[in-house]
Amino acid sequence: MNAAKGLEEQLPGTRSNGATVIATIFKFQSLFGLVAVFILATILDPETFPRPDNLLDVVRASAENGILAVGMTMVILIGGIDLSVGSVLGMASVGISVLLAQSGFGMWPAIICVLGVGLVFGILQGIANARFKIQAFIVTLAGMQVARGIARIWSGGQGVSITYQSQGGPVSDAFAFIGGKTFGGTVPIPAIVFIVIAVLAALFLRFTTFSRHVYAIGGNEKAARLSGVPVLWTKILVFGICGLLAALAGIVHAGQLNNGDPNDGQTYELDAIAAVVIGGASLTGGRGGVLGTVAGALLVGVLRNILALRGVNSDLQLIIIGLVIVLTAGLQLLRPASMRA
Amino acid sequence: MSVRKIGTMAAATACTLALIAGCGTTTSADKGSSGAPQQQPKCGGPNGKYKIGVSQANVAEPYRERMDEDIKKYAKKLLPQVTDVDVQDGQQNNAKQRDDVNNFITKKVDLLIISPNEAAPLTQAVKDAYNKGIPVIVLDRKVNGDQYTSFIGGDNKDIGKQAGQFVASKLLTSGGKVGEIRGLDGSTPAKERSDGFKEGIQGKKIDVVESQSGEWVRDKAQQKAEAMFKAHPDIQVMFAQGDPMAEGAYLAAQSAGLKNVKFVGIDGLPIPSGGIKAVEAGRLAATFVYPTGGKEAIEAAKKFLVDCKPVPKNQTLPTQQVTKENAAQVYTKLNQG
Repeated sequence: MNAAKGLEEQLPGTRSNGATVIATIFKFQSLFGLVAVFILATILDPETFPRPDNLLDVVRASAENGILAVGMTMVILIGGIDLSVGSVLGMASVGISVLLAQSGFGMWPAIICVLGVGLVFGILQGIANARFKIQAFIVTLAGMQVARGIARIWSGGQGVSITYQSQGGPVSDAFAFIGGKTFGGTVPIPAIVFIVIAVLAALFLRFTTFSRHVYAIGGNEKAARLSGVPVLWTKILVFGICGLLAALAGIVHAGQLNNGDPNDGQTYELDAIAAVVIGGASLTGGRGGVLGTVAGALLVGVLRNILALRGVNSDLQLIIIGLVIVLTAGLQLLRPASMRA
Repeated sequence: MSVRKIGTMAAATACTLALIAGCGTTTSADKGSSGAPQQQPKCGGPNGKYKIGVSQANVAEPYRERMDEDIKKYAKKLLPQVTDVDVQDGQQNNAKQRDDVNNFITKKVDLLIISPNEAAPLTQAVKDAYNKGIPVIVLDRKVNGDQYTSFIGGDNKDIGKQAGQFVASKLLTSGGKVGEIRGLDGSTPAKERSDGFKEGIQGKKIDVVESQSGEWVRDKAQQKAEAMFKAHPDIQVMFAQGDPMAEGAYLAAQSAGLKNVKFVGIDGLPIPSGGIKAVEAGRLAATFVYPTGGKEAIEAAKKFLVDCKPVPKNQTLPTQQVTKENAAQVYTKLNQG
């Protein structure tokens, strides 16, 4: 125990080389996993899989899950969980569609309004968790129901379709950019939104005081409080950011489908948690990062894509993806003792 | 506490997004009629080899499972030129189904058969496939616009109407009280079956005392029916828009001790757990066959790919009333292929 602790306190450079290599591999397990799956996919389908349009489509298809997973990473880092993100995505997709198609909002006011709803929803969950000490699991389980209910009421229980002015509908054509492609019709916008969010979040979790507070709370909440970390506000803000990102994912969702449906986004929270776990974060908090999560989300995306391209039976796909999640979680048991949470 | 930094970050995000929005995006706003010039789907004739992609909305409903089976069965039988029938499950998820269609486009299938989860969200994906020169056969549920090769489906309104007429002319000849269990709210068949049913019982002193959504599934329908029987123990006929829901309602009546209620369903799947067998066993008074269209889809595919002939844009499949008298016969007929 003491020896392990001593090792941990050493600078990486002073460690024996073997240990450093192993530590690095485990730290970026999903990145290596992604590379491995990528190579495997290229071997299995050298003709179609590596085509740029297909790869960009993989990033696009992973975008909603990836954005949710980035928010989920932060919540999991503080030792929490957010089961509401799928419902919030559904609520936001309905919200943006109703505001644009029925309430006559302009694009930016509608987007800001929906992001605001997500932020406030997250903050309320954060308050229930941090201030009133209700477990995150319970709070967000309730939040999941509440958001779904709001989505149903907001939409009148029906899908709300977005028809653009150029098609004779009420919605400004500007909003079509979210589901469209840029750079001469090659790069899907959802992929760009995902990458921008991932980069911002990675920078945010590396360079701000706030991020040190997040890791400190996840590592040891009591110690963090005693050393002056504003635990309450940090937690509330983390849930707020997660809600905000879920709302953003909902806007991307609606933009891609030209439709907001109150039933959409079911079980998306589980996909997001899976991406975080594959990314190497610990569900007890304090360990993990955005880079790992993003690689985790892309790993699942590549896997789904190659399984579909090879025409693997849908039922079998579920089993394979399930096994991959268990395997990567199992990998954590092999971590050197000094790296365990 | 670095709230200011967070503010800056948020602003940065907004600016980045604004930039992306601004920098000359080729959006799909021109999704309208102008669109990309559509390519003429190819016809390879009888010596071609064909890959068919099937994008199914979900496989949770037995009806859809049967549709997939019909497609595979008749492809083998009528279209030996098909080397591969790749069925993907949309898992009741519009986004997943859109991805499935995109993957079929990437794989360059020779024909796409899709039964969309919902119309609006899948219209674009179908259009993309069609404009890339892939013939698209849409089954059961429609997409918006006309960017597809052929639509094949039953007439839900007519089926609902026939169910209503059956209730009025056979079960409640002197009027009475009916409970309705609808499909998933927001789905077109649920609305059309409801409208048709109302039309069928119009002017017949039949009162729909309550209508609830059973979301197409047995357990939800059972719960809703239990509550309905408590509120209205005098319901004489329960009309469910799907056989699994009718069976759920039947169970609810059994446990409430109501023996005289009659049940009418829709779907009439010719499988052991389907509605036709339930009619034969006397649990349901009647069901109305809602054809899967699997056979007709393959026939259309053959016409298009092998015979190089045009196919009709819309094909409506007739229903068939199933009662105790003809249940066994219909069951055998539908399983002969």
